[in-house]
Amino acid sequence: MMDISTDDQTGKITKVIMKNDTVIEVKDLVKKFGDRTVLNGVNLEVKRGETFVIMGGSGCGKSTLLRHMIGNIKPNSGRVSLLGEDITDLYGSDLDTVRKKIGMSFQSSALFDSMTVFENVSLPLREHTKLESSVIDIMVKMKLELVGLRGFERLMPSELSGGMKKRVGLARAIAMDPEIIFYDEPTAGLDPIVASIIDKLIIDLSKKLSITSVVVTHDMKSVMAIADRVAMLYEGKVLQVGTVEEIKGSKSEMVQQFINGDYDGPIRFFQQKDDYLEKLMQ
Amino acid sequence: MEINKEEKNGILTFRVKGDIDITSSPDVKKYFDTALTDKNTRIVISLKEVEYVDSSGLATLVEVLKRIRTLSGQMKLSDLSEKVKSLFEITKLDRLFDIV
Amino acid sequence: MENPVASIGKVVINLARHTSSILVLFFNTIQWIVIGPFKGKTASRQSIFQQMVFAGVQSVIIVFFISFFTGIVIAMQSAYQLKQLGAIIYVAPMVSVSMARELGPVFTALVVAGRVGSAITAELGTMKVSEQIESLETLAIDPVRFLVVPRFLALLVMVPCLTIISDIVGVLGGLIVGVFSLKINMYRYFAFSFDLLAWKDIWTGLVKSGVFGVVIAMISCYVGLDTRGGAEGVGKATTVSVVSSFILIILFDCLLTGLFFFSNM
Repeated sequence: MMDISTDDQTGKITKVIMKNDTVIEVKDLVKKFGDRTVLNGVNLEVKRGETFVIMGGSGCGKSTLLRHMIGNIKPNSGRVSLLGEDITDLYGSDLDTVRKKIGMSFQSSALFDSMTVFENVSLPLREHTKLESSVIDIMVKMKLELVGLRGFERLMPSELSGGMKKRVGLARAIAMDPEIIFYDEPTAGLDPIVASIIDKLIIDLSKKLSITSVVVTHDMKSVMAIADRVAMLYEGKVLQVGTVEEIKGSKSEMVQQFINGDYDGPIRFFQQKDDYLEKLMQ
Repeated sequence: MEINKEEKNGILTFRVKGDIDITSSPDVKKYFDTALTDKNTRIVISLKEVEYVDSSGLATLVEVLKRIRTLSGQMKLSDLSEKVKSLFEITKLDRLFDIV
Repeated sequence: MENPVASIGKVVINLARHTSSILVLFFNTIQWIVIGPFKGKTASRQSIFQQMVFAGVQSVIIVFFISFFTGIVIAMQSAYQLKQLGAIIYVAPMVSVSMARELGPVFTALVVAGRVGSAITAELGTMKVSEQIESLETLAIDPVRFLVVPRFLALLVMVPCLTIISDIVGVLGGLIVGVFSLKINMYRYFAFSFDLLAWKDIWTGLVKSGVFGVVIAMISCYVGLDTRGGAEGVGKATTVSVVSSFILIILFDCLLTGLFFFSNM
């Protein structure tokens, strides 16, 4: 495991240095749902070509942050720019122009279950381009080959396993040759082998097609395998940003607790320990 | 995007200028649909002035190759930049095309 | 217990919020239908066709049965009254006029709301809770254009078409009673059915049914796209969609009938 990740590290760091421009910039992002503050002043920058991982516990706001980056959720304050365009106040067709340059892989795959695998993958091409259907046919075959699912074109999503759905979702996300792919919990709910296949795929896509990847996950094994840089999110704030090595060597107890998956530490899941007995006796 | 046609010793050379991407691919496809009608043609497509080919461009070139084969002609790709060449390698299309 | 005034206030505020959202969705839909073609962005013909088959063609059998029996029932009920006046022949226009003006449009709309509206809400609701709607947005595909417009157009066209079928079948149902039980001559029955049936009876009925089609489409799509909370949410949304469609169909029926009545149409 270790060897692979260091190998990838060296390979990818050179790539990052080659193209050092910022493709996503998040500034002082604040988002509240009712009284609950989900994001509390998040600042981040993602560079072209890198694989950027946002990790943190369940409910720390990482999926919400991801949805801000693609403009699906609007912040209470702060700014988001995507591929050089400030998307904070963009709606409708203006936002769609930017969205055509990105791809998103959803936690639940979000395949359209009334459509076949072919129709799912070809949908953005049929909707947004003037390409002839014979050309689209070939493109879909190429995309499915990349995710290792060629020959499954005629199946419906209900006939696929969880890992296969994820890969079809990925093929659909890369249909338009996006500059950035966003992954929401790509390995959640998959068995370890399928999870490694997905990790390998994320690495392949980012390396082969030099696509920028932004991954939200709490799967540490996956983080070690794919990340160029990691941001640790806790209670709506970024605790630390750094390479995998830097995060591993972090002095922050919270980061260490998360990496090691310790039960005991500064991150508490049982906050009101002391008044438990009193509450029972009320 | 621009394509120039040139004939020399019975070989048609097409020089493509500009990226072959999702916006220009439909035009490239149309151009070759009208340009290639005769049987037994031998063509070379020069990608010297092409910086980037996306997957719709690759698919379009596959379509052109299919057309040439049904016309029992021959097709070569020439002057690929390193970057474009690697795009063919990733998609395993370097094994399909005659790249010189 | 909550203050009753406060809870009534809450209901009113919610109602106002939903109503304005539905109007926004309605104008958005109209905008795509009217302006969309000029921008080269329309709903695909294939999906409009699919929705038409689902909403229209596959509803024909159920509309047929309901209208046929309704025709029989009106014929029998009105015969019971008209017999006492010795005007049994008026059973024929009684059936044809009430089918065309009222029962054809309303019963068809109720059938479509129950069969098609519920299915639309369940489908869109499931898409909403399983991230498929968000996925469409991320693929830069407008859910209103892609999902609402085809359903809207299909219902706008197919509900009046089904109503025409319903009118005809209702008259046939009445005819069965008239000819076999009341012993009215078939040609006379037909002649009376249509002699007293004015064009306005037919077109006001069809205008109504077009409005009902729009109501069903807007309610079922809005409630579907507004679904929250997993499988349970989809179930609730479907119920809400059907119940509110029923209420609004009757409400609009009342309003339109009033409009036609007081404007002497």
